[in-house]
Amino acid sequence: MGVPFIAVRGLLHSDILKHRPDLLVKENPFNPGEPVVMAQPIRPDVAVFHAVKADRWGNAVTPGHRDDLMMARAARRVIVTAEEIVEAELTRRDAVDDTFLPAIDVDVVAYAPLGAHPCGFGPLYEADDVHCREYLEAAKDAASFQVYLERYIYGVRSQQEYLECVDIATR
Amino acid sequence: MSSQTVDYTPEELMAVVISREVRDGETVGVGAVSPIPAAGCILAEQLHAPHITLIILDSAEYYPFPAGSSELHFMAQRGELDLFFLSGIQFDRRGNFNLHVIGDYNAPSVRMAGAYGSAMLYYMAHRVILFRAEHTRRIFVEQVDFVTAAGVTPENVYREGGPALLVTPKAVLTWDKAAGEWVLHSVQPGSSVEDIRQNTGFALRVSPSLRLTPPPTAQELHMLRTVVKEKLTRSYPDFVREKILAG
Repeated sequence: MGVPFIAVRGLLHSDILKHRPDLLVKENPFNPGEPVVMAQPIRPDVAVFHAVKADRWGNAVTPGHRDDLMMARAARRVIVTAEEIVEAELTRRDAVDDTFLPAIDVDVVAYAPLGAHPCGFGPLYEADDVHCREYLEAAKDAASFQVYLERYIYGVRSQQEYLECVDIATR
Repeated sequence: MSSQTVDYTPEELMAVVISREVRDGETVGVGAVSPIPAAGCILAEQLHAPHITLIILDSAEYYPFPAGSSELHFMAQRGELDLFFLSGIQFDRRGNFNLHVIGDYNAPSVRMAGAYGSAMLYYMAHRVILFRAEHTRRIFVEQVDFVTAAGVTPENVYREGGPALLVTPKAVLTWDKAAGEWVLHSVQPGSSVEDIRQNTGFALRVSPSLRLTPPPTAQELHMLRTVVKEKLTRSYPDFVREKILAG
């Protein structure tokens, strides 16, 4: 949308407002006396999406009906990882029950089979509960999380090595 | 406490109680991680409310929009959502609920995922039914540690609606808008006013028209365990397996 702020309903007298400097209570200029929450735009430097398929131009299909286009447009740079890179150009007809991200809103595409792991991915694969539990355990403190990062993120050089590292071949 | 044997789970009871609150023709929304109201709404649609417009986030069958959950939120902001469901980690007498933290915000003992759209939906849905499968003093407190959304707001705050009902395995509370507090309206099978008060951390007024919740009927349970169970399985396989008994 590119607007400097937007007015949103609700939120008044919520403690959320005490902790969010990007949400301000102002008087509704069109209805004097009425408080209304103004929200600052969220402008991520990068947004990353995992797609069912993408093409070399940057068109991508993500599973289900989602708000990905809104998020992609909010971000300054958009990265798509995909289960499959297809030869033919994708169009919105390839996303009837899914979400279409047009190339104009995408900057980078990368091939990453099973790239949503350890999360599940639409109808394609379920979450890896064993690995998710390992992640949650590791995330409890900084030291154990560092060990997790060394093992699964910094310690592998490619998606293929990551998948071997998490032993996904057996799943 | 009653020693009678019950042949339904607390979650099934709550789903049935919720289903009875759904009015035919309404536009009803169910958020993520809400299997109990999802079951209740599908049950209502099967039994007495065939003309509801039912929107269940993350479901394929009950999702009429082309984009994501923003669609449901904008619909509520337009004042077009009749009924919605919310839960929390704490509730208090004044209708506040907490989806954020236990303890101090900056050093919490528990940090939850947060509110998402709840702090808008609690004001903009015409009726909100709160639900929680645990009825204890750690959940029902005198004052929530963090007000995710407020039950009571001043006159100049625009709101389409707000709290209507709070459903637990022990009790159904109704919202007294004039007094701005929850009132005990119905005692669930197997519980009692004494039991409910012992497990509620705030002073709970009892409605003069207090009643016992009519137990789930054979027809309600049959429909819940067959058609509803089937429709719910894709979104909530674990819930269906663990909380809904065999049909």
